[in-house]
Amino acid sequence: MAEELNKLNLPLGYRMNRRSVLRAAGLATAGIAGASLLAACETDDDEPDVGAAETDDDEDEEDVEEPEEDEEEEEEEPDDDAEDMTVDVSQWSPEYIQEIAGTMDFDTAEFCSNIVPLDYEGSVTFSYIGPTEASPQVTWDYDEEFWEAWNETYPGIPLSVGEGVQSHTYGDMLDQIRTAAFGNAAPNVARLPILWGVEFAARDMLEEINLADFGFSEDDFWPGALQSCMWEGKLYGIPTNNETMALIYNKQLFEDAGLDPEDPPATWDEVVEYSRIISEETGAHGFGMVARVNHGNTPFRFMPTLWAYGGSALDEAEDDPQYQESLLRSDGAKAALQAYHDMYVRDQSVPTGALTNDNTANTDLFIGGQLGMYIGHPAEYASMVDRAEQATGEEAELAQEVVDNIGYTLIPEGPARRAVVFGGSNIHIFKEEYSDHELDWDAARAIIAFQCAPEWSTKLAWAGSNPGHLQGFRTHWMEQRLEEIDFLEVASAMLPFGIPFPVIPEATEIMNITIPEMLQNVLTEQMSVDDAAEQAADEIEDIVAGRSGY
Amino acid sequence: MAVTTPQQATGQVAIRASREPRNVFVRMYRQWADYAYIFPALFAMFFVIAYPIAYTIYLSFYSTPTAGDNVWNGLTNYTSIITAERFWMITQNTMYWTIVSTILAFIIGTGAALIAQREFIGRGLVRGIFLIPWVISHVATAYIWVWIFHSDYGLVSGMLMDLGIISSPLVILDSTTWAMPALILVNVWKDFPFIMIMMLAGLQTVPDHLIRAAKMDGASTWQQFRHVTLPHLKGVIIITLLLTIVMNLNHFTLPWIMTGGGPASTTHIWITEVYALAFRSLRFGIASAFSVVLFIIMMSMAYFYVKAMTAGDDRRR
Repeated sequence: MAEELNKLNLPLGYRMNRRSVLRAAGLATAGIAGASLLAACETDDDEPDVGAAETDDDEDEEDVEEPEEDEEEEEEEPDDDAEDMTVDVSQWSPEYIQEIAGTMDFDTAEFCSNIVPLDYEGSVTFSYIGPTEASPQVTWDYDEEFWEAWNETYPGIPLSVGEGVQSHTYGDMLDQIRTAAFGNAAPNVARLPILWGVEFAARDMLEEINLADFGFSEDDFWPGALQSCMWEGKLYGIPTNNETMALIYNKQLFEDAGLDPEDPPATWDEVVEYSRIISEETGAHGFGMVARVNHGNTPFRFMPTLWAYGGSALDEAEDDPQYQESLLRSDGAKAALQAYHDMYVRDQSVPTGALTNDNTANTDLFIGGQLGMYIGHPAEYASMVDRAEQATGEEAELAQEVVDNIGYTLIPEGPARRAVVFGGSNIHIFKEEYSDHELDWDAARAIIAFQCAPEWSTKLAWAGSNPGHLQGFRTHWMEQRLEEIDFLEVASAMLPFGIPFPVIPEATEIMNITIPEMLQNVLTEQMSVDDAAEQAADEIEDIVAGRSGY
Repeated sequence: MAVTTPQQATGQVAIRASREPRNVFVRMYRQWADYAYIFPALFAMFFVIAYPIAYTIYLSFYSTPTAGDNVWNGLTNYTSIITAERFWMITQNTMYWTIVSTILAFIIGTGAALIAQREFIGRGLVRGIFLIPWVISHVATAYIWVWIFHSDYGLVSGMLMDLGIISSPLVILDSTTWAMPALILVNVWKDFPFIMIMMLAGLQTVPDHLIRAAKMDGASTWQQFRHVTLPHLKGVIIITLLLTIVMNLNHFTLPWIMTGGGPASTTHIWITEVYALAFRSLRFGIASAFSVVLFIIMMSMAYFYVKAMTAGDDRRR
């Protein structure tokens, strides 16, 4: 049956394997997949088992030699078949993520060969945030493996770090890329964190992107991710990975505080309450608040609360955001600020250092058994396991006890919604006039297709993110990730609740300065909740309207 | 200005000075080799200093939206800065930071120099210990002191709690009241060795025979310092103070890393504000105008510094 399915309309490079067929049948029975898939699965009962790999090989040759025929076939197929391979985001849950993982084989070389021939000779320059000393070994390994695979796939477009590729750190990259772009020395292609690209798009430094030129379609990505690549209705990037967080909590502290460790807070009101109880009953901090100014950790942790209560910096949480009016004056925004005020000032149930802490401080407190819950990446579990292994003596026992009692749950919801920041990275092409290297479109298309396709969008997001390409969730690499990284499915399950920061060039200022300063004004009681919210709303509206003086 | 005559002056230098032509171009022509030597440095400085300064001044008269072209707005950036309540709050922070840091570092640095100058066993070791804060990088210093002062797991609070002196951690860097004093303490700790070195160098120029004469005349230690040592240190003191003030006005690393300008902007000083405006808010026009204001203040300082440095030159002629 896998063979028959593979003869359907699957895009080049994608192949359902035998396991995927069985799983798809289950999904179809549940009414998720289309009727044609169900029919195909039913006929499979009588079919002999066919090795998926063999089928792939046969199909690969056919696809490469006769792409036009394949396209024609695609046009003739009913639409239902097109849904066979789609990832149904309406079913998104930890269980669904587990269910679809490993149901598809993917051949990156084959996929790319239909974008740019593998024997193409050209050149391109590329910049990205590479692994650092703080990165886990698996990140280093996949980074190295990526460049090896690239050079094997496209030997005529040689690239390696230092040779056409510049690896930056997160802290330095934005300034370096800005400086390079202003000096007409930007790389041809750059993979930038989700917030940064719009600034360059607004300055007309980026090439407009047509997804089809890279072998992709809109259905391959989360709508929110594509939204983050848009400026004035045009697409200027392609999502490489998407990042959402979850609520991490210490089950032992919950138990010590008399709370049910299997019943973590489901709402933000409960977070406030649980935080107070943990603090009072155990002496540890309840919730890991971060309110530092000029630090990205702050909006990533406060905005989910703000959105959940119904507020927003502008109107980014609405269906059709216009980014003109601030909703910080709303009752919801003030309720979110009040919740933070209650935890920090009234209950004193959060770290006092919240005003200067970044999230690393929360991780330190958590592994030391001094913090009940905080918002974190899936990768933080692995990080804590590492720390526990490195600790010695009593500290090792304590750290191991914490690791054994870690719980992950969805970020709580509020009166308006459940929300999380839709993070990640996008890949962009700089216009030739802003680059010191001639723009070789085919070489640029090749590296982008190679990197954004399911395989590498999964592998390069291994430790702490999610594949930008939705089909990445179907691959066996995703299955492997789920096996290796505990709680990954919980953080990944937050993706449908992801809200991107406002896709405007002023977003960095609003998120890293205006929002944290509003928070600090409330937490230090320099201003009332109402005054701080009103002042921040005025500031944000002035910023987006270009009225802001000093 | 002292007039040098052949009768008053001694040696060939004075005679040559008296024969120098009045026309400045002729004098420059005669000194062409000197200009040739400094030309490469001047050439490099033009590109790395003069051009950025000129461009900053140019940008200060423009609004610089993130999307679109720069728009001429005259003095609006300057009036916007001067009339903003925030500017005066940050100016107040800057003055507090600079003046208190300078005075405290000067007092401690001078005291350390007086100690380090005396002859006693282990003097070299003491001098070395005093220099340790100065040789540690600012970034490392900032992170170490954040750890020491941290409100949740700081060393200071931990030790005081272990000793039973306090029952709950001290709130230092997260307090609008104590954050700035804490930063100043770290800054003084970091900078006093520089002042110590400068003053130590100055102290070693005080003639021994004057000290001995004062002692023979029955002067107390304070009187020796006040009437003999201090007058000799006047030039060094002025230069050291000017340098320290300029260093503190320009000091970015400690406040940025330790508090990021918080809480509630109580530790934002001019230089951190300019950085945040330019590279966090991308308001290059406003940041440029702010920089020009700072540039004028710094150049005023530099004028006094150069004047102090060259005060004796005319007399030597």
